[in-house]
Amino acid sequence: MSREALQESLSAVMDNEADELELRRVLNAVDDAETRATWSRYQIARAAMHKELLMPKLDIASAVSAALADEAVPAKVKQGPWRSIGRLAVAASVTVAVLAGVRLYNQDEITGAQLAAQQPAQQGLSMPQVQGPAVLAGYSESNEQPTGPMANGVLQNQAGWDQRLPGYLRQHAQESALKGNETALPYARAASLENR
Amino acid sequence: MRALPLLSLLLGSSLTVQALAANSSPEASEWLNKLARAEQQQSYQGSFVYERNGSFSSHDIWHRVQDGKVSERLLQLDGSAQEIVRVNGKVQCVSGNLVTSVSAPPDNAARVLDPLKLMSWYDLSVSGESRVAGRDAVVVSLTPRDQHRYAFELHLDRRTGLPLRSLMLNDKGQLLERFQMTRLDTDTVPTDADLGAGAACRPVDKIAPGTSEGVAGWRSDWLPPGFELVNSSVRRDPERKSTVSSLMYDDGLARFSVFLEPIGNESGIDTRAQLGPTVAVSRRLTTPKGKVMVTVVGEIPLGTAERVALSMRAQDAQARQ
Repeated sequence: MSREALQESLSAVMDNEADELELRRVLNAVDDAETRATWSRYQIARAAMHKELLMPKLDIASAVSAALADEAVPAKVKQGPWRSIGRLAVAASVTVAVLAGVRLYNQDEITGAQLAAQQPAQQGLSMPQVQGPAVLAGYSESNEQPTGPMANGVLQNQAGWDQRLPGYLRQHAQESALKGNETALPYARAASLENR
Repeated sequence: MRALPLLSLLLGSSLTVQALAANSSPEASEWLNKLARAEQQQSYQGSFVYERNGSFSSHDIWHRVQDGKVSERLLQLDGSAQEIVRVNGKVQCVSGNLVTSVSAPPDNAARVLDPLKLMSWYDLSVSGESRVAGRDAVVVSLTPRDQHRYAFELHLDRRTGLPLRSLMLNDKGQLLERFQMTRLDTDTVPTDADLGAGAACRPVDKIAPGTSEGVAGWRSDWLPPGFELVNSSVRRDPERKSTVSSLMYDDGLARFSVFLEPIGNESGIDTRAQLGPTVAVSRRLTTPKGKVMVTVVGEIPLGTAERVALSMRAQDAQARQ
């Protein structure tokens, strides 16, 4: 299959205009690093166009490719370091592009506190203590009329955020809690969504 | 002769189970069994904190096992008084904020941790010792065997097996949420007064096992291995006047929901977000019956949620082809 056809399908999937066949074609092709890179670029471009605020800490390219590449993993191991360098490069460029996109398109919507909250997350922290400033930054923001259950989370002040999502998050958390799980964890998650 | 294939099948499956279990330590699965038993047999009361990105809260818990009846009450201590009371895993009442349009699932039998099931998808191991809430704890690690779920670290009370701390970590080792007891008393049995619901705790409506026709119209081309459908429901959203179908999947530990809602011609927005341990991915999908918003919400990695969202199909569309 030609690369152009694949890219067209990819674009169609992105825009929700793909038919079953195209979707399959794309899902079959995602083992290919180049296709994944193209997918990432399309996502960024799209997000920028739609003024979505992507969270820079979400490493979309590698997360998606990790999820999609499971069947291919054993076969590709011997391909040496170039592949992982390529992935790193993709991930790095995505992060840069997202940051750039966020700054260019969402500048008026981002408050200092939000950026502050994002910056430490950027450094790949594994120590929970480092989250301290982020929490504090989020709290100092909270006198600014939080509007919904998401006020404490990353969804704050998102232009064009789908209004269904808070309801879905709540329903998921509550049904998990009502499921009668053996630990208090689902209850705690549900309660934390309600805190404002 | 007819027994031969059956025999080989049996042999094959038992070998598989052994192969899967090879990476898990029997000691760890014994601790998880102890945890499951403790929740059914041990009375306790205490306090715990829950922390995720942007949220930190403290709660009290009372748990009483008496005459084979397990009663439990949870109450948030800061902010609004979120409360839930359960008897034998069945929800008796929920406080105002927690209950919104959600009714108790028809089948809300208590689900118990099953190490045998879990070790197909996680490597179970005892990874050390710790001390939490002034008590000695055993650290049990559940490491995912694929990239479709998160890792858990459970610190279990050495004396009773009760959970003292539970951490959820992503593939980079970043902490996504923390549950931690700050006080645990396993000697004082909670009284009736302790377990009595507050005034704000409202009884949960029991809904009849819902019409599942809307839900049955959907299937997934792909699910992460080990996840099974545990709950499905259809509810009407009074504000948007639309019907929301939901499907919940579970691998014995992690959970995600898929929501399907017709959106007509209005422009929904494809989004992806992470809220502490929970991701949300939504995509518009064009079906013969019109546009539908598919949203995956759950405690699973973003890429996995994305793939699930891409794999939802309207079933009758398939039949028509």
